[in-house]
Amino acid sequence: MTRRFIVEPRGVADSWVKLAVPVASVVAALVLGAIFLAITGNSVIEVYAKMLKTAFGSWRGFSETLVSATPLILTGLAAAVAFKMLVWNIGGEGQLLIGAVLASGVAIMMGDNVPAVAAVVLVISAGAVGGALWAGIAAAPRVYLGTNEIITTLMLNFIAINLMNYLVFGSFSPWRDPDATQFPQGRPISDRARLPEFGELIPGLKSFLHRLDLGFVIAVVVAILIWVVLFRTPWGFGYRVAGDSAGAARYAGVKVSRTFFATFLMSGAAAGLAGGIMVAGVLGKMDPRSLELGLGFTGIIVAALARLNPVVVIPVAILLGALINSGPALQSIGVPSSTAVMLQGAILIFAVAGEFLIRNRIRRPDAVPTEVSEAEGATA
Amino acid sequence: MNESAEIGLLVLAIAAGTPVVYAAVGEILAERAGVLNLGVQGMMLVGAVAGFWAVFTVESLWLGVLLSLIVGAAAAAIHAFNSITLRVNQIVSGLALTIFGTGLSTFIGRAGETQLAGEPAPKSFEPLLTGGLADIPLIGPLVFGHDILVYLSWLLVAATSYYIFRTKPGLALRAVGEDPPSAESAGIDVAKVRYIHVLVGGALAGLGGAYISLALVPSWTDEPIGQAGWIAIALVILASWRPWRALFAAYLFGAAGQLNFYLQTQGVDIPSNLLAMLPFVLAILAMLVLASGERARKLGAPAALAIPYSREQR
Repeated sequence: MTRRFIVEPRGVADSWVKLAVPVASVVAALVLGAIFLAITGNSVIEVYAKMLKTAFGSWRGFSETLVSATPLILTGLAAAVAFKMLVWNIGGEGQLLIGAVLASGVAIMMGDNVPAVAAVVLVISAGAVGGALWAGIAAAPRVYLGTNEIITTLMLNFIAINLMNYLVFGSFSPWRDPDATQFPQGRPISDRARLPEFGELIPGLKSFLHRLDLGFVIAVVVAILIWVVLFRTPWGFGYRVAGDSAGAARYAGVKVSRTFFATFLMSGAAAGLAGGIMVAGVLGKMDPRSLELGLGFTGIIVAALARLNPVVVIPVAILLGALINSGPALQSIGVPSSTAVMLQGAILIFAVAGEFLIRNRIRRPDAVPTEVSEAEGATA
Repeated sequence: MNESAEIGLLVLAIAAGTPVVYAAVGEILAERAGVLNLGVQGMMLVGAVAGFWAVFTVESLWLGVLLSLIVGAAAAAIHAFNSITLRVNQIVSGLALTIFGTGLSTFIGRAGETQLAGEPAPKSFEPLLTGGLADIPLIGPLVFGHDILVYLSWLLVAATSYYIFRTKPGLALRAVGEDPPSAESAGIDVAKVRYIHVLVGGALAGLGGAYISLALVPSWTDEPIGQAGWIAIALVILASWRPWRALFAAYLFGAAGQLNFYLQTQGVDIPSNLLAMLPFVLAILAMLVLASGERARKLGAPAALAIPYSREQR
């Protein structure tokens, strides 16, 4: 049989391939976006220049990009940590929202009665706990009954969205601001429970970092911590072995289902922490309109582009944060802000397709394969 | 509640359920072939905007329907290529399609020279019969009071159900979703069967979307379909991959929504947000009952769902 191309599994992809594929995905998405922009009669260069300028062209813009990136680092981690272990938690969206519900609930309950630092710690921890609990609803049946977590985590997103909207728009719950009668809104939390902005801690930074708060630092620290846990501890070793092969892990004495459960909850906690940080940080309340941006789903894009590496999640989240931040600014030049959403989707489509090139090698039939033995050794 | 209000409610429930019926039947076909497509919401949205655009520019309803089918299938082709040819992760690929479709539909509605957003459809699907048979009490409006796409959806459900369970290609479809290697040994082209059903599934999702923008609420706004695509995915599980059950479940939720509107006018307030959770809560409960393995398979869950198939790695 003669074929024009032969596709064969690579063993371990070269690092240039691992870098080139995500970069190419972004470029391809921008090209696709350019086609749609051109068809609809918009100036491609003007649009992309505007996005770049909005996201990175000024200190204010850059700080807003980091503000947008903060929850994405955490939802990106949520997806990366889970997917690496083959935990298909696609419920980051719901876990973030329930994190926000619990965090704002704790903040409202405490009022002004708890000293500042403790209040902040309690509120954002409540976010993480909320996310972990919400993930637990899917994790427990997965581990004890074998219930497929793809659908349960997905469905829990929409339960969470409707629950949050119920608390603010559909009822007079403690989450709803009693003073906002015309347009329902979340009840503002005490200033004591708010994460400090950089500018408040070091006044000189105010003109550079504007409203960026410590949430960004927390997100970065969590990313690094997770990397350390996964790559530098015995537990992390077991986790990585279990992610590659549950059988091998069991043989090596790793408690696979316990590791699976822990990973699932950790993933949920990361997404929930994102919600808690948003409430304690930029939002100061459970504001459904600002929380329901699909940040959990965008986290999956972040994880895919970062190829599930917890530290690489940070720069990728900043890139996606730039995209989210620059979207609304396009309206000033008559281009819909949804351009940014379209680009996000396109990036993910190309990134997931690109996985094929990372896993496989395509060559001409006449070319002599050079690393066959290595490839076979790694896939065996 | 007087009688005409009751009937009106049921007619509206059927209309409200119809987009979900189309999308759910489409997803049943894809999943029966072993491909999980979480891009339903995105395919519905691009179908909805494509159909609306066609009707808005050339004022032909059937061209709108045709375009929504084509665009839905084209969107599904992305997922089919990713999951069948490239064999990459179906979950992530489907979600990517939803994000892309969501962004693209809103983009199309606002980016062009003529803005679609905020515009009513110049033409829309209306009930086929007014007067005559439709005036028969009770069954008149229920049986004869719908637009043609509702009748087509009934035909579709009947045909799909027959196709899946009573025909040879339907058997091949189920084999591909259950046990691709055996299907391949029996001479079935697994990739081809999967491609066809994912594409048809996408076309139906596109039509379901267009039903919203051309019949249910004949106009264009950003993301006009609510959570319909996700509800369709939930219904596929609740209906245990059976078209008729999906139809009745879709009408049930349609009725629940309409009943709630009605009760609100009567001063009874069931929070609509809580009601909106219902399909998702029930789908999770169904998943818990199905649990895994035997019971799920007996009920119709395709065993090879979301698992890529490679002839070489058999």
